Amino acid sequence: MFLNKLKAIIEGHFTVFKHSFKKRITQEYPEVKQDLPENFRGVPDWYAEKCIACKICEKVCPANAVRIEKGVDNVKFGLNLSKCIICGNCAYNCPKNAIIMSKNYETAVASKSLLIIEKNSKDNNYE
Amino acid sequence: MNYLYFLYIQFLLNHNIPKIFGDITFPFIPFCIVAAMIIFVVLVLVLLERKVLALFTQRKGPNRVGPWGMFQTIADAIKLLCKQNIDILGSDKFLFNIAPIVVFVPVMMLWGIIPYSSEFVFMNFSVSVLLYISIAALPVIGIILSGYASNSKYSLIGAMRSGAQIISYELPIMFVLLSIVALSSSMNLKDIVYSQLGEGAILCWHVFPCIVGFIIIFICMLAELNRCPFDLPEAESELVAGYNTEYSGMRFALFFLAEYALMFIMAAFLATLFWGGYLPITGKYISEIFFSDNQFLPVFIYFEQFFWLMIKTFILVFLFMLVRATLPRLGTQSLMKLSWYLLLPLSMINFIVIIIFKYFIEGGVL
Repeated sequence: MFLNKLKAIIEGHFTVFKHSFKKRITQEYPEVKQDLPENFRGVPDWYAEKCIACKICEKVCPANAVRIEKGVDNVKFGLNLSKCIICGNCAYNCPKNAIIMSKNYETAVASKSLLIIEKNSKDNNYE
Repeated sequence: MNYLYFLYIQFLLNHNIPKIFGDITFPFIPFCIVAAMIIFVVLVLVLLERKVLALFTQRKGPNRVGPWGMFQTIADAIKLLCKQNIDILGSDKFLFNIAPIVVFVPVMMLWGIIPYSSEFVFMNFSVSVLLYISIAALPVIGIILSGYASNSKYSLIGAMRSGAQIISYELPIMFVLLSIVALSSSMNLKDIVYSQLGEGAILCWHVFPCIVGFIIIFICMLAELNRCPFDLPEAESELVAGYNTEYSGMRFALFFLAEYALMFIMAAFLATLFWGGYLPITGKYISEIFFSDNQFLPVFIYFEQFFWLMIKTFILVFLFMLVRATLPRLGTQSLMKLSWYLLLPLSMINFIVIIIFKYFIEGGVL
């Protein structure tokens, strides 16, 4: 009984000691980025050339974060990241796959106003 | 120490300063050496502890401040010194302020009695072991003071636990120390180291006849240090931080300093008693091979002895950390049971066996 306990304690020490020869799990974040899973949901990306301005994304959004405005010859896309819960509903329900969940998860900004993303299909420099 | 004293007096005489001035100011030199060593060693130990615990849990540990996170503890220390000292409402101000000092001063005194090399023993008494026992029991007074003066239930419970724990683990330590004293027939730490000198190098160490005693004293030292698995006085999940819950800033830093300084000095004490102290593992001094013709050979040997002691001490500190990483915390009941039911009888039996061993195999009790 007593010897069994002693044996267990000594085995425990060896097990812990063996860990020091294994590979480190820590990843030094800003330098080394994590491998993201396939279905990872980051900030939604909008592709103007695919969008037909059906406004389904605006309707399904549970947080009222997405806004689509149809102009005469252009479509405006607005996303409020301070409201967005990154649920992926807009991307799932989009009939033309104009919204795709990107892998970008670094959304920290210095000011609240930077959280509101405005895109216009007329501008060529949208991403 | 005589060598350093000689150098100092010689230096003063060369500058026409009377010898009496040297006699008065000489004790400050070992004090400054010890103080500097404590600060340096504690900074290293805290970093080492975090790195080693990270090693055992497959993490990296501190790695941002400086290369390999080397300056992390210095940054922590500066942060701690800049913090506000909070006075607790309803606390006994005088006892509250004096408690960290009562904890720290005995620990600093312990640093003086270890023989770092055959020349550098700051306090070379003929009864160093006895002195060690009496001084090592003093910090608990400071701990109980801090618990009493804090006016907080967590502090008081932590302090009471610490007191009970140290009293019950003091006895097995004494019996093991007695068996070491019987083996080397001296209470002077330098003589104890000399008694481990012999043809067999490692085989002459006291750890081989007294292996049971070594394990017992290792467990008891863990308990005296309030470290895992005996960290009941500062059990985080139950008592916030135990006796130092209400402390902040410099006063907390003193507790912290005392804890790690005590850990290091206990490891050094164990190394001195059981692992041959400053004697080389190889059996022969390495500097004797490389600097055999050099006139400063004794100085090289002193530094090599210091180096060997540090290696042994850090191996023991590493073992302390391995135990901390492995074992969970004991309950209060099983803690007391372990000491009174198992360790105390075992240490008594060990003492008797060692005396018989000494009498029949090494011949005579002296």
